[in-house]
Amino acid sequence: MARLAEEHGLFGVLAGTANPRTAITAAAYASTATDFVRIAVLVELGLEHPVTIAEELSILDNTNNGRTVVVAGAGTLSPSDAADELAVIREALGNHFLQHEGPRWKAPAGLPANVQAPKAIAVTPKPAQIEIPFWVTDGFAPGLPVLARELSHIDRQSQVQPATVAITGSLEPDRDSVASWADAGATHLFLELPADADRASVMTMVSRYLAPEVGMPHFPRVMSNSRVPLPWPGDGHR
Amino acid sequence: MRFGVGLFSLQCTAMQPRHWAGAYREMRELALLLERLGYDELWLSEHHFFYDGYCPALLPAAASILSVTERLRVGTGMLLLPMYDPHRLAAVATDLSERSGGRLDLGVGMGYRDIEFDGHGVSRKQRLPRMVAGLEVLERAEAAGGAPVWMGAQLTDPVKRAGQRGHPLLFSAALPYERCKTLVEIWEEGWAESGKPASQKPALGALRNIWLSEDAREREAARDWVRASYVQYAGLGWTLPAIGEHQVQDYANESDKAIADTVETTITGSADDCVRQLREFDEIGIKHIAFRLILDGEPRAALESQLHRLAKDVLPQLRDRVAA
Repeated sequence: MARLAEEHGLFGVLAGTANPRTAITAAAYASTATDFVRIAVLVELGLEHPVTIAEELSILDNTNNGRTVVVAGAGTLSPSDAADELAVIREALGNHFLQHEGPRWKAPAGLPANVQAPKAIAVTPKPAQIEIPFWVTDGFAPGLPVLARELSHIDRQSQVQPATVAITGSLEPDRDSVASWADAGATHLFLELPADADRASVMTMVSRYLAPEVGMPHFPRVMSNSRVPLPWPGDGHR
Repeated sequence: MRFGVGLFSLQCTAMQPRHWAGAYREMRELALLLERLGYDELWLSEHHFFYDGYCPALLPAAASILSVTERLRVGTGMLLLPMYDPHRLAAVATDLSERSGGRLDLGVGMGYRDIEFDGHGVSRKQRLPRMVAGLEVLERAEAAGGAPVWMGAQLTDPVKRAGQRGHPLLFSAALPYERCKTLVEIWEEGWAESGKPASQKPALGALRNIWLSEDAREREAARDWVRASYVQYAGLGWTLPAIGEHQVQDYANESDKAIADTVETTITGSADDCVRQLREFDEIGIKHIAFRLILDGEPRAALESQLHRLAKDVLPQLRDRVAA
């Protein structure tokens, strides 16, 4: 799917929706097939120590040359615990030495048996990009973009306003849907394809019609509707 | 015998500066070369919170290699089990194993650095109970078709435990042949107590420092690269305690002696010299050899040349004729 998204010029793919436990490694497995597309990984908090998660995200980012985006969900954690856990992950990935004390986590832990452990640690390697973007699935971390699932949840003033919508695979309804999200202020829209879709056909619909039509005000539809050139002799792609 | 290469630790050191993303790309390139040359395995190594970015998360790194290769096995040598939630780990390893057609080998060790335990909220006192509890989870996953479990250990009790539980070991390259032989005997005692059928008996493995060359200057340089590659263990505070007649190797407090002793384990010389020394490991039941060739500061051209030479002049004389 990542390769298909890249071939069709989409900004990214959302990885890890099938199993929260395996999301980061699955994203690492998928990302080597692409060069440009952003690898957005759904990270459910509360499943592992946040320093471990930070380390895995950094390796993912170095594997995909700085294309990682994290979409964090609170899982079963309370908003306060989720916020604290997310803070540890983000601090660990930053360039200050980690020394965190919050309602849920103290990192490093300062346990009595670990006599030679220092009071701060450097979580390394650092990500390939300066700062991994963090989005959240609901508002437990003020200041971070929230992945909108309804038009009414869009913050039009946000420079980055991610959203997600299921499309049908039929041009007219999907055209209207995507236009609505763009008009509302969504800046990065994840499309959930129908389960039984011919992915290549749906992606062609997206890249020929849906994406260009929200790519500029008053998009001239002749650009999408004109006839595709004849296949090159011997070229079986089109 | 089976042959692999390691340990990929993906460091960017004071001696060999590079971008971390470049290190991960280079590892994938080398993995493809290993596969093309006929090697069987690639081994990764884990540590945490070191200035040089020593790889702290082996399964995402393994995923990136497995996704670009088709036949090469990838092993974690060793993933530090007490620092992980074993249920999540088992799920991740099983998923990765399935995606790759069963090519993941999950080597686990206990860890020894207080900073690493503390950074993950684990008390050092809990490392053994967490190791045992984690093994039980991973063994259930393995029995259900998940990744094979290996262990890394150099002391009597954990080596025997590995035998009792039926897990192969990957011995450190720092262990001289005689110490490996002693540990194999201990493992065999444990295996005899396991009650498992002979058909399930795994072959053991060892990392070996090696450099095939007839050129004295090249051999001297290679041995010095081996020396330099062990300086980090002084920095990491590693110690190999004494076992029986085998003396302690204390990298933290007697680093010069420990490193010098380790350099002496390096197999060097002609192809015939290397084959003869490697056959000694085969004869004591160590059938997997991972050439410890990923050394700090070594030029890539030299590494690739050595990979080609070993593949051409050593592997054919030793590898099994029977398919895996």
